[in-house]
Amino acid sequence: MAAHATTEETHTGEIAKPNTAWIWRVFGILVGITAVEFVFVFLMHPSTLRNSIFIVLTIFKAFFIVGEFMHLKHETKGLIWTILVPVALLIWLLVALITEGSFIGEVLQNMFK
Amino acid sequence: MAQPTTLQPPAASATQDAPRTGNWDGGNEPFKASYGKLMMWFFLLSDAFTFAAFLTTYGMIRHKHEVFTGEAKDFVFNSRWWPIPDHVFNAFPGMGHANVPLGFVALMTMILILSSVTMVLAVEAGHRMDKSDVQKWLLWTILFGSTFLLSQAWEWSHFIHGTEAGTRMADGTVFHGANLSVNQYGPVLFADLFFFITGFHGTHVFSGVCLLIWCFIATTNGTFHKRGHYEMIEKIGLYWHFVDLVWVFVFTFFYLV
Repeated sequence: MAAHATTEETHTGEIAKPNTAWIWRVFGILVGITAVEFVFVFLMHPSTLRNSIFIVLTIFKAFFIVGEFMHLKHETKGLIWTILVPVALLIWLLVALITEGSFIGEVLQNMFK
Repeated sequence: MAQPTTLQPPAASATQDAPRTGNWDGGNEPFKASYGKLMMWFFLLSDAFTFAAFLTTYGMIRHKHEVFTGEAKDFVFNSRWWPIPDHVFNAFPGMGHANVPLGFVALMTMILILSSVTMVLAVEAGHRMDKSDVQKWLLWTILFGSTFLLSQAWEWSHFIHGTEAGTRMADGTVFHGANLSVNQYGPVLFADLFFFITGFHGTHVFSGVCLLIWCFIATTNGTFHKRGHYEMIEKIGLYWHFVDLVWVFVFTFFYLV
């Protein structure tokens, strides 16, 4: 402890031991999910199923980053909902406009047929 | 300046209300998060709106374009259809013309996830008031963040200069690389969205690195130690994780799908 205590510190208490096992566990999960994504990139032909797998795995990664690293999982219910509800609306917007994009594309490609 | 400098206690009367101590009556933290952290969350929510607007635009424009339906090995760049990402992003620094589909972007993703980990470690050290550990992990985070920025600069440069073969455009000329109005990979909007989305994310990483450098200087000067807590590291950590989170989505929607 004394090795890395500098002189001007006003803090007098002992520095506690680091508690980092959970951080490395979350890191392992994130790296694992990314590795699985690469397995799917090279072993599966592009399809709606493959894209759905990617999106589900991305949401898993987001869950661990926001829940553990950003600590949201351990905040009050009120704060969790304050963040999640607007984001849910954004996902609605995303799905709606992607559907709209497919429709516009279909119309444009068939316009002169 | 006739106003009294201190608030006078109201005259005692039988009708005076008891002091209000409810959650939303002021003087306490309803979400058990400090003002600064709460505002950082709300800022990040608004930033999520911006990035969601970008990704929604990307999704809509991509679905508006034709999809290449043949075998992946027969794929050629053409402005008719949206490019297959592992045919565009297949170069690796120092490996010349080797075909390394998505190799470099995998490395960039690892670097950014690692920087998120060292950021949590800095926050954790801050909770223990361990100044030298905070300094150590902040430096690692700055290093990984800067490495990510340099990687992105290389990625952009490669994207802009393009391949030697290039693509024959509609007017018969061969075009190499990309700019905002013409590119060799596919529809014009593909390159535009690449520049805007990864560029906006890169700007966020750059701001994050600047904030981290400031944090490192303040930690070294003992500012947070004298204050008695390292909450500033937590707030900047929230921002940094958000930037990592955005990359996770950009990675999926731009490079994988």
